[in-house]
Amino acid sequence: MWITALVSGIALGSFYSLIAMGFALIFGVTHAFNLAHGELVVLAGYVAYWVWKGWGLSLVLTFPVAVAALFCLCLILQRLFSLLREPLELNSIVMSFGLAILLQNGMLFAFSGDYRLIRAPVLTEGVHVNGLSLTYGQITLVVLSLVAIGLLHLLMHQTYLGKALRATIQDREGAALAGINVRVMGLVAFGIGALCIGLAGPLYGSIHYLYPTAGLQATLLAVTITIFAGVGRIRGLIVGGWLLGLVESAAVILLGSSWRELVSAVILIALLVFRPRGILGREEG
Amino acid sequence: MERAAPPKLDLRGPDRAIPVLLLLGLVLLPFLAGSSGYVLQVFTHALLLATLALAWNILGASGSVSLGHAAFFGVGAYGSGLLSLKPGLSPWFTIPVGGLFAAVLAVVMGLFCRRLRGAYFALATLAFVEIPRVVTDNWEGLTRGSLGLVGLPGLPALTLGPWRVEIGSSAGASYYLVLSYAVVVVFLVALLWESNLGLALQAAREEETAAKAVGIHVDRYRFLSLLLSACLTGISGAIYVHLTRYTVPGLVYSLHFSAVPMIFAMCGGRFTILGPALAALVLYPVDQFLFHPLLPAGHEFLYGLLLILVVLFMPGGFWGALRRSP
Repeated sequence: MWITALVSGIALGSFYSLIAMGFALIFGVTHAFNLAHGELVVLAGYVAYWVWKGWGLSLVLTFPVAVAALFCLCLILQRLFSLLREPLELNSIVMSFGLAILLQNGMLFAFSGDYRLIRAPVLTEGVHVNGLSLTYGQITLVVLSLVAIGLLHLLMHQTYLGKALRATIQDREGAALAGINVRVMGLVAFGIGALCIGLAGPLYGSIHYLYPTAGLQATLLAVTITIFAGVGRIRGLIVGGWLLGLVESAAVILLGSSWRELVSAVILIALLVFRPRGILGREEG
Repeated sequence: MERAAPPKLDLRGPDRAIPVLLLLGLVLLPFLAGSSGYVLQVFTHALLLATLALAWNILGASGSVSLGHAAFFGVGAYGSGLLSLKPGLSPWFTIPVGGLFAAVLAVVMGLFCRRLRGAYFALATLAFVEIPRVVTDNWEGLTRGSLGLVGLPGLPALTLGPWRVEIGSSAGASYYLVLSYAVVVVFLVALLWESNLGLALQAAREEETAAKAVGIHVDRYRFLSLLLSACLTGISGAIYVHLTRYTVPGLVYSLHFSAVPMIFAMCGGRFTILGPALAALVLYPVDQFLFHPLLPAGHEFLYGLLLILVVLFMPGGFWGALRRSP
């Protein structure tokens, strides 16, 4: 039982890292705290469900559609967030809270409140080794999440664009003085964020039920992992995602599945209380 | 940094007409609405939301944004509902006790979030709602879990000498009860901002370091304002549960009761006293009478849209914008 929990914890955790990645990058570069992040993931899941069920596209082809849809949406969001005035973090929280309500109601209107799941039979089949079973769904979850995160790691550390992004995360004014166009970096961050969300959406729809208000849980776990890891620390995001996935799996075994929803909330409060300034990955001097 | 005018309700100035006319209109409303029970029901709920917005704004006007007032609302509702159901106590007693329960929860929250400000306080409150919600959902022996509480006693009759008013069975009497509670809350809030506590909160909002330097116990006053805000929100939750006589965790701990009071306060003007209540009395009926029939699913998009527009273009709210342009 504990081995199964370990496997599902790591699989879920890798997926959580992918969700947190988009959030952390957008927050790090633009300081926009996007509380509608989870709603965007759920929306991408709905888009995937819609083309999978309605048009009969294969599951693989739902990814480019979801990414393209989120790309357009995130470009609009970037414009909205760039209109905000100081204090940026608080104002972006309040505005994106409104955005979350707007998206929830839009999804309620467009897709109704029914629970939806991308039920692809291939995902529940799997391989069995020595009594340990791995479904193809779990393998997809781990491989796709880790490949996406790995590629992003390469982008951040091996290219000039990545260097500019990291510089912007460390110090916006310093980066601007060094000739980096901070506005363009904001656009790039939202673009990469859209990519992460667009990949996470169809995965989300195949492991969790989709309903219009499902996004809050995803938002909470993205915020929790980001605060745990600090912005722009990709390895930290993976470790944070795995830890959260494992703690959730352990909570399901020890307390029952109905207490799982409490895990990320309690960890988030604890992190805020004990590391109130840890979010930028360094103590403020 | 933009300086906000201190929240002050000037009863001597030209604004005097507004609260008086408003109160007159609200008192006469049941006669104007005639036999339409629906209109009265909508305005009863609008008044209840107005009390929530006023209570939220005790924190809001002191510079903190809470995204989790549904926690206090839900605890007040469940506390009063359970006490009136099992020991069978009178709602007149359980409603204030519901407020006390919410205040106890606020003590816990206040101890944890003492040092959090701004964005981090907002995040903590957002996560905090999950705790009472999941506990209520899972403590099935006490709360019946997701089945919820049904058949709760309504508001009992009030006997005053020869008069006996059946509040629970009369829409008009329920309306007047919520109206009187709203008036009490307005006066409490107005008194608060005149008191030393209110002045200290305003000072801390503008310059926390300077306020500390002149000897204001900023943390203690913030704690008190959280308690007061939570207690009033809990009482509103308790009144709500005896009006609807039914509740489930997903209803009272919903995003709706965290978001809507905040949106009304932001739209009405965080740095005014009556603004949040006015916004509730205008926006909720507009939502119910205009948008609900047009868009039965998803009509609350209006609230999200308004919040985005207010944050971007009207940081002082409607009332604030009205005042700035003479």
